[in-house]
Amino acid sequence: MKWKPKDLLDLDNLTTEEIEHILQTAKPMREILSRPIKKLPTLRGKSVVLLFYESSTRTRTSFESAAKILGADTTNFTVAQSSITKGESLLDTAKTIQAMNVDLVVVRHSSSGAADFLADTLKASVINGGDGQHAHPTQALLDLFTIQERIGDIKGKKVVIVGDIIHSRVARSNAIGLQKMGADVTLVGPPTLLPTEMSYLGIKLSHDLDKELPGADVVMALRLQLERQQSGLFPSIREYSKLYGLSVDRIKKTGKQTIVMHPGPMNRGVEIASDLADSVQSVIEKQVTNGVAIRMALIYLLIGGGTGNVVD
Amino acid sequence: MLWIKNVTVIDPGQGVSGVNDVLVQKDKIVEVGPSFKAKEVLVKLGVTDINEVNQIDGDGKYLFPGLIDVHVHLREPGQEDKEDIASGSRAAIRGGFTSIMAMANTFPIVDQRAVVEFIKLQARRAGMARVYPISAVTKGFKGQELVEMMDIKDGGAVGFSDDGKGIQNAEIMRLALEYVKLTGCPIISHCEDEALASKGVMRRGRTSARLGLPGIPASSESVMVARDILLAAETGGKLHIAHVSTKESVEMIRWAKGKGIDLSAEVNPHHLIFTDEDITLTDTSYKVNPPLPSREDQEALLEGIIDGTIDMLATDHAPHTWEEKARPFQEAPFGINGLETSLAAVWQKLVQSGKLTPEKLVECWSLNPAQRFGIEGGTLKPGSLADMVLFDPLYKEEISTEAMESKSGNTPFLKKELQGFPVITWVEGRMLMKNRKII
Ligand SMILES: [Zn+2]
Repeated sequence: MKWKPKDLLDLDNLTTEEIEHILQTAKPMREILSRPIKKLPTLRGKSVVLLFYESSTRTRTSFESAAKILGADTTNFTVAQSSITKGESLLDTAKTIQAMNVDLVVVRHSSSGAADFLADTLKASVINGGDGQHAHPTQALLDLFTIQERIGDIKGKKVVIVGDIIHSRVARSNAIGLQKMGADVTLVGPPTLLPTEMSYLGIKLSHDLDKELPGADVVMALRLQLERQQSGLFPSIREYSKLYGLSVDRIKKTGKQTIVMHPGPMNRGVEIASDLADSVQSVIEKQVTNGVAIRMALIYLLIGGGTGNVVD
Repeated sequence: MLWIKNVTVIDPGQGVSGVNDVLVQKDKIVEVGPSFKAKEVLVKLGVTDINEVNQIDGDGKYLFPGLIDVHVHLREPGQEDKEDIASGSRAAIRGGFTSIMAMANTFPIVDQRAVVEFIKLQARRAGMARVYPISAVTKGFKGQELVEMMDIKDGGAVGFSDDGKGIQNAEIMRLALEYVKLTGCPIISHCEDEALASKGVMRRGRTSARLGLPGIPASSESVMVARDILLAAETGGKLHIAHVSTKESVEMIRWAKGKGIDLSAEVNPHHLIFTDEDITLTDTSYKVNPPLPSREDQEALLEGIIDGTIDMLATDHAPHTWEEKARPFQEAPFGINGLETSLAAVWQKLVQSGKLTPEKLVECWSLNPAQRFGIEGGTLKPGSLADMVLFDPLYKEEISTEAMESKSGNTPFLKKELQGFPVITWVEGRMLMKNRKII
C-alpha cells in the first residue's frame, strides 16, 4: 500500500490497513536488529529531532537508535520542564526547528495535545512520543507487534489492561489499536482510576481483576504513579497491589499460557511481582526490542517513503 | 434630532414589539409610536425645519434598546496587550453593547476606589460604551478581607466580584453577602470549587476522557452555587451568579427563586452554542472557564432562560493575545472574546432557529441587566437615554481580526460567517457606529 499520513499522532486516525502496514514494515526491521552490524544507508542525509519535554531515557534512546540504524542524523532537544513554563514557548521552539529544515520531529510532552499542536505548526513530520494523558501510539504499535509475534492473529484475543487507566496514554492508545485489530479488550482498575467516562471507548470496564482474568490471552499492567496515593486516588500501595497487582499465582486464573506485558519502567512488587516480570510468560524485554523495530518502521514510512527497499 | 422610521422596535420594558417610528431629541427618547407624519414630528421635536431632523429608514431592521453586558474583562490596567478600556469599549459598540460592566481581575486588582475612578476616567476618555466598574469582593482577590465596599460604591462600582476566581472560604462569602447590604449592590459569584476543578481544562466527561485532557467536574460549579444560594437565603444579601453552565445549577437557582431568595443569574452565549463535544486538541479558542457544557446541560440552560430562571445573557468577554492562545490546549489560557460576535451568534444560532424570541433576547441582554444592577438603559421609554441599536437580521459578515476593534481575536467564530449584526449603535443619542465601523 501507499503510505499517506504525514504524522503519527494517535491510532484513532489510522485505518486498520495502515496499522497492519506498519506492523508488516516492522518485521524486516526486527530482523535487522538481530544482525551483528546494524546500520543501513536508507535515510542518509535525513535529520530527526528528538524533542523531549519529559525525561524518558528509554523512549528517547529507542527512537534515537531507530533513526541511527536507518542512517538518519539525530539531534536531541531535551527541555527541562517546570509547571510554569518560563522558557521558550513550544511555538517558538517549533519555529526554530522549522528553520533548521529537519525532516522529522519526535515529541514527548506532558500536555495532552502537544503533538497535534506541533503537527499543525510544522512542515516536518511529527511522531507523538507521548503527550500528556492523551496518546502514546508508538507504544501501542510495539505492543500490537509483540502480541502478534507471540500469539499470532490479534483478532478475537482477549486482552486485559489493568491499572491507572484514566491517566494513561498507553491504555488509551492500546485500547484503540487493539479494538481496530479486532481484540476483545477489557479495562480494569479502581473507580477512582477507571471512572465511568472511559466508556467513550465502547469497551468493557471492570473494577474486579480476578473476575476478568479467566480466558485472557494477554494481560497488560500499567505503571502506577506512586504519588497519586497522596492525592487520594487510592488508599495505599498495599491495597492497590492486593487488588490489582499481577503475580505468577494470580495470572494462573486465566487458565491459559497468558502473556504478560508492561510498558516500563516497572514498580516491581506494586503493579507486577518480580516472579512474574522475570518469568517465561513475560514479554517485557521483547517489548523493548520491538520498540526499536516499530520506530524504525515509522520513521521509514514517514520520511523514507519511495526510497526503494529498506532491506538489501 | 433623529427620526427612525418603520423599524421593528423590540422593547419589552414598555411592551412594544412591532413596526414603529422612534423620535430622539439630544440624548433622550421622545416617543415610540406608529408611523408619524412629518408635521407631527416637527411638533413633537419642537423644530420648524424637517431638514434639522436626521431621518433613518429602518425598514426590515430591528431597533433594540442598547444591549448591556454585565460580564466583560477589559484587562486595563495591567494587561493592555490583550485589551484596554478604549479598545474594549469600541468593541462593545461594534457589537451592539452600549453599557458594559468591567470585571476586577486586572493588575492591580480593582479593590480600591482609586482604581474604580481610574476605570471610569479611561472610559470617559474613550467616549464609547458606558463602562461600569465591578470591584473585587476581597482585597487582592485573596479571599480573606473584604474591600471598602461603601467607599468603592461611592467611587462608581455597581457590583462586587472576585470573578476569575471563586471565593473558597464560605465564611468570607457569608460576610460579604451580609456587608454588601449596605451598598444595595449584588455580589457576583464566580462559582468554582478549586479542589474539584483542580488542574482541569475542560468539562469532565467522555470527551475529556477521549482527549486525555484533565476534566473539571460539573460539581465544581454546582456545589458553590448551592452554597451561595444558602448563604444568600441566610443573610438576605443580593446575589448574582455569573456564567451558569450546569443543569444542577439551573435547578438550584429555580428552587431558590421559588423560595423568594434575592438572586439573579447569567449565562454566556458560548455555553448555549457549543458543547464539550466541539472541543479539539488544536483549537484553543474553545477553551473557556467555566468549560463548555454537556449537551444535557446546554438544554437545561436554554430552558432556564425561557422560563426566567436565568435572567441574563452576558458575554464573559475574555480577550487573550494570539501568542498566549497559540499553545497546546492544556497550557493555553481560558477565555473567549465575545463582544463583537455574541449578538450575531445568538441571533443566528438561537433566534433564527426559533429557540429564543427577539423579545426574550432584549429582555435578557438589556432590560434585566439594567434593572438588576440599577443602571440606566434597558428600555426605549420616552425620557430614557437614547442608547439604541439598529440591527439588520440579514447582514452577513465573516469574522476577522482586521475588522475587529478588540485587540484580541480569540473566538471560535474567527474566519466563519455569521448573519445578523448591529449596523448602527447610539449611546445617549450619539451615533458611534455606522455600517459596522466605529465613527
Ligand atoms: Zn468568572
